[in-house]
Amino acid sequence: MTRQQFLSKLESAIEADEGSIQGTEKFVELERWDSLAVMAFIAMVDEEFGVSFPATKIAAATGVGDLLELVEDKLAG
Amino acid sequence: MELVGRRILVTGGSSGIGRETSILLSRLGAELVIVGRNPERLEATRSRLEGGPHHVEEIDLSDAIKIPDWFKSVSKKVGTVHGLVHSAGTQLTKPLRVTSLNEIEETMRINVVAALSLVKGFRQKGVVDAQGGSVVFLSSVMGLVGQAGQATYSATKGALVSLTKSLALELAREKIRVNSVAPAMVRTEMMDTMFQSLLPEQVAAIVSMHPLGIGTAEDVANAIAFLLADSGRWITGTTLVIDGGYTAH
Repeated sequence: MTRQQFLSKLESAIEADEGSIQGTEKFVELERWDSLAVMAFIAMVDEEFGVSFPATKIAAATGVGDLLELVEDKLAG
Repeated sequence: MELVGRRILVTGGSSGIGRETSILLSRLGAELVIVGRNPERLEATRSRLEGGPHHVEEIDLSDAIKIPDWFKSVSKKVGTVHGLVHSAGTQLTKPLRVTSLNEIEETMRINVVAALSLVKGFRQKGVVDAQGGSVVFLSSVMGLVGQAGQATYSATKGALVSLTKSLALELAREKIRVNSVAPAMVRTEMMDTMFQSLLPEQVAAIVSMHPLGIGTAEDVANAIAFLLADSGRWITGTTLVIDGGYTAH
């Protein structure tokens, strides 16, 4: 999966508009980033990468950049 | 509350509530048939049971159509069965928008379809003991109240609350009592898996909704034993809430 594909998947997990997430946004700026979005993100990562992310790893994240970091080694290009 | 001379089949017997229930029932004198998919874990549970003889049986409950014939074959091997506890089940913690149809159907298959198929098997002539029987399903407070991210799970646990009532009425004439228990959060592997999908503050919020704190598998096992034994003689069609006060809010 590429970085762009990851961002697209994140967009659909939180039901943000297509192309609206660049990768630098803080969660407080994102309208739909709530506890359900966290669950949806975890489910997405599990399905796409087969990796079970405990929510505690996301607890420390404050924005999309942190999420990208978490999956960095699994992204192609 | 003793079960000497009673033979009880427990699904999900190799972990969590199923395991602790099997252990308690053995202490009360019951002969157990513990059911699961993993032979090592089943044996591990069997080794912790008191008395005996106790039996292990492997079956994939998601293949529900096979259950009634399988139950008959088990009964041919071990004798008539007095009790059935369906503790095998799966949880799902995700918003509907990222829940696939396959996940919905799979959760329904294990939690609900298997439950009905197990009773189809249990009530067969020659399987259930002539003296009658007692069935206990594992529902959940999530079958009575709701929570975001729990819709699919709630659907299955609510289904058990309802089918308990109709089955109780239908099977009373066959001397089979049917009840459910509805625990809140219980310290098991399933709880750990559920909490993995939630942020620390969400976990803390859930814990704080239990006035008496999180429960143990033994707490639930006690209630199941109460319903299975003659102590539950006059109880059928009900869902016994064991939740540390969770649903009192």
